[in-house]
Amino acid sequence: MAEQPLLDLRGVGKSFGGLACLSELDLHVNEGEIVSVIGPNGAGKTTLFNVITGVYRPDEGDILLDGESIVGLEPHKVTDRGVARTFQTLRLFLNMTVRENVMAVQYGRTKSTVFEAMLRLPRSRREERQIRLNAEEKLSFFGQRLVGYRWDQPAYSLSYANRRRLEIARAMATEPRILLLDEPAAGMNPSETHEITELIGQLREEGKYTILVIEHDMHVVEGISDRVVALDHGVKIAEGSFDAVATDPRVVEAYLGLRKAETK
Amino acid sequence: MNWSLFWDLTVSGLTLGSVYALVALGYSMVYGILKLLNFAHGDVYMIGAFMGWFALHWLGGPINPSAAAWLVVVLMFLFAMVACGGLGVVIERFAYRPLRNAPRIAPLISALGVSFFLQNSALLLFGASFRDYDTFHLIGAKTYNVGDVFLSVPQLLTIVSAIGLMIGLTLLVARTKIGKAMRATSFDREAASMMGIDVDRVIASTFFIGSALAGAAGVMFALVFGQIYHFMGFLAGLKGFTAAVIGGIGSLPGAMLGGLLVGLAESYATGYLPQGSTFQNLYVFALLIAIIIIRPQGLLGKPDVNKV
Amino acid sequence: MADDVTQPRIGVDEWVSSVEEKRERYRGPIGWLRRGWDSSPPAARLLVFVVPAVIFPFVTSEGNLFRYGLITLLYALLGLGLNVTVGFAGLLDLGYIAFFGIGAYTYGYVASTHANHHWPAELAIPLAIAVAGLVGFIVGFPSRRLVGDYLAIVTLFFGQAFVVFVNNADRINFWPFNHTDLTGGANGLDNIDPLNVFGWKVNTTKEYYLFTLGAFLLVMILLYFVSGSRTGRAWKALREDPLAAEVMSMPVNKLKLMAFTFGAGIAGFAGAIYGSVQTGAFPGDYDIGLLITIYAIVILGGAGSLAGVIVGALIVNGVPELLRDSNQAEWVFYTVVAILVITKVRPWQKLVTVIGGTIALGFALHAIADAWFPRWTAGEANAGRLAHWVSHWMVLPSHPTQLANWAYVLTIALILVLTLLHGWWRTIVMIPTIYVGAFAWENLLVENTVGATRFLLLGALLVVLMNARPQGLFGSARVEIV
Repeated sequence: MAEQPLLDLRGVGKSFGGLACLSELDLHVNEGEIVSVIGPNGAGKTTLFNVITGVYRPDEGDILLDGESIVGLEPHKVTDRGVARTFQTLRLFLNMTVRENVMAVQYGRTKSTVFEAMLRLPRSRREERQIRLNAEEKLSFFGQRLVGYRWDQPAYSLSYANRRRLEIARAMATEPRILLLDEPAAGMNPSETHEITELIGQLREEGKYTILVIEHDMHVVEGISDRVVALDHGVKIAEGSFDAVATDPRVVEAYLGLRKAETK
Repeated sequence: MNWSLFWDLTVSGLTLGSVYALVALGYSMVYGILKLLNFAHGDVYMIGAFMGWFALHWLGGPINPSAAAWLVVVLMFLFAMVACGGLGVVIERFAYRPLRNAPRIAPLISALGVSFFLQNSALLLFGASFRDYDTFHLIGAKTYNVGDVFLSVPQLLTIVSAIGLMIGLTLLVARTKIGKAMRATSFDREAASMMGIDVDRVIASTFFIGSALAGAAGVMFALVFGQIYHFMGFLAGLKGFTAAVIGGIGSLPGAMLGGLLVGLAESYATGYLPQGSTFQNLYVFALLIAIIIIRPQGLLGKPDVNKV
Repeated sequence: MADDVTQPRIGVDEWVSSVEEKRERYRGPIGWLRRGWDSSPPAARLLVFVVPAVIFPFVTSEGNLFRYGLITLLYALLGLGLNVTVGFAGLLDLGYIAFFGIGAYTYGYVASTHANHHWPAELAIPLAIAVAGLVGFIVGFPSRRLVGDYLAIVTLFFGQAFVVFVNNADRINFWPFNHTDLTGGANGLDNIDPLNVFGWKVNTTKEYYLFTLGAFLLVMILLYFVSGSRTGRAWKALREDPLAAEVMSMPVNKLKLMAFTFGAGIAGFAGAIYGSVQTGAFPGDYDIGLLITIYAIVILGGAGSLAGVIVGALIVNGVPELLRDSNQAEWVFYTVVAILVITKVRPWQKLVTVIGGTIALGFALHAIADAWFPRWTAGEANAGRLAHWVSHWMVLPSHPTQLANWAYVLTIALILVLTLLHGWWRTIVMIPTIYVGAFAWENLLVENTVGATRFLLLGALLVVLMNARPQGLFGSARVEIV
């Protein structure tokens, strides 16, 4: 395909003090692809997400979304452009209800001002209805898990697996073009892991999202990826299909004995 | 250029700055270890000034003390420092320790509550009228001078003892075991406790030292400026943490530098800026805002790296 | 206790969430009340407050209406504004009262004899709101990137700068403002006009009360709509986790600024009314004492809760007012102590020990003092029946000051020690604590209820609240990411 990638990192570098977390990184994700990023802990994977979403500014290099640079934009603006993410350590709004969590993040896609809300003007009422429906729709994506009475429960009352699902629902509600999922299967038992693998596939098929995933669980990586990128100490050491990367000697070495059948 | 005015202002600024530096040290130490702004610190300083007054009067009073003047002053300092150190430990134990894992806003509000409680307890117990140290009778009005630069005994005493205390503190933090424990705890509390450091004791010691310094500062201020009253801690506390922030909160050398800068700024403002003495606090405030905008980590602080 | 979000839960979804649901349910009669409250529609809840509030001026004296009604409403209005900044958005604004002052002074400037403008309220009040909001914006702008503690310092200093400014702004004397008197200096801005709203001249306390009630209800309803709007949700998200909010499309700095400005505007509104009620604006009114009072109201009611502000204001303003009269103050003290002891001391054996022991100790000490130190019981008791009983139980020296001071310090020390003890030790130590506390109350605190006592109780209230119930009365228990 000769078209430009949806997300394109060129020569991106980021250091903290003397430590280079990312260095000369070239990475791209084409529209509709699912790309996985793997690497041992400390390889710079979460820093990668932080740099893309604008939380950190790269020291060098450029990041293009659909051809336009997003370096230097504030995080909420990056999200408005179409990049959504989940957090490895789950950052839900715990004291808000499930529905409110998914409604709140639609802030960037809506326009009615505080004053319109105070006076209950028609535009704000209309938008409110829309936001609510949209939230319920995104939550329904997860089948029966997050529907009905759950909508009004505070987020802290959800089980761990449901919280992960809510994170994803939230990210979806910002109407992104590309989803960055940071270890979506972390802490899950085998059956939940299987569900997540299916879910990510569904996100691409039905939701039409492009997805960049950080993951440790090789079952998941194998199950979903079109392409795999391996990082170590901030540098890309391999790229290609799962089989190619999993057997690449540099990758094996970085993991100190990675075996294809590794589970958590 | 009126040099004599300049030197007067400078001496006055350094004296005031020494007092602020000691107060700022307490703020910085506590912030470094707990990430808490101890609003009650200024009121500990006020209590120190009053403790000094009581010590003075239990030893016979300024006009007819029962011991040599220098001994009385030393005893006043010691009494104020020990009393305030103890007060600091009590405050930490009951108002802050239970909130160590609570959201940040909770200990801040608790600190506000303690501050207000101390101020008004002082009002209740000591009354609203000003009390006097009467340094004139106690120490005398002798001044020393080098050329155009004049220093009264209280001013000299303040600057010298402040320097002494600061050197002592620096040595303590850099050379002793407890100092090392303090530094470790301020980097990573959890890791420190896993390494066998008794975090509760370290924090209590930090409060003791910081509060003792504030107590000393209170006595110094009172010796130089004479009058004490229940509300004096509020403004001194504000300036103290302005100084800590300007120097870089969490940094001990920063607190010392910040204190001196604030003292000098205040002094020069009264002398040189329009309506300086009326609006001196506004000028210090403007300085604070400027530093926060231009260099939020303060002069000697390190930028805060937020780990996501 | 914070939930540990990284631990995978053991068990299936349904089970976990039903366990959580059970934890949520309230118990007993209070629980029944709370569930009723939670399930009633907001309009009904509003009526619970509005109906007594409207009846109040017609059944009480003017003095009471002023102190318990009007001032409570004004403080509650201030609390609503602070709730936006602290409760909704989580920003610690310690200079909030300056905006109250700005509202009062602005209103005063355009509606008084000071500069001889006499604007009607429908123009002057919006101006006061706008000026306060604008200053809020100006202060908030450089501070919008500041994290909690820094914002607290900057705003605290701003509040102080305001007081210094209005105290001295009658003598501004440098170019280009030579000989300008903006604020009347330390004497304040005098002769502010009473409210003149579309021709209706508000003159009596009753009229002021009803006007303020209307203003309060208006702001409350508007805020209720805001809290359910996208901005309200964004503020809540900002309070929960600013980083996550920012990454999830919410412009955090802009939102902070909005919350700040909003809160300032509401304070300005309250200030304009207050200025006209007092017919003057005086620097001393806008200082730290009022700040702590309003914070106590918001925290006690529950940060973020609109209904809580009303209850908070009633308690924080009402109780010190009750304490003004030393007779009443005595009653209040013993009632509160009695309630605390009866509800907190279990089982009944310990309760009897405490009450019996305290009474016995009192009479014993009184008898001893009577016999050996007659001066110690020669003091003046208050008038009234309770005081009569008390004077036989309590030692009331004729010159109490020194002893009472020590008793005060001793009471605090004993209370602190009490928190460290358990079981029977705690019960036993309670006895001298209550007695010495009562001694300090009778001989020292009761004399100062207008000033020091009220404020030190507020300070203590804040500390105790944070330790025991940080979410206040109406706030919800919060789970935090540590």
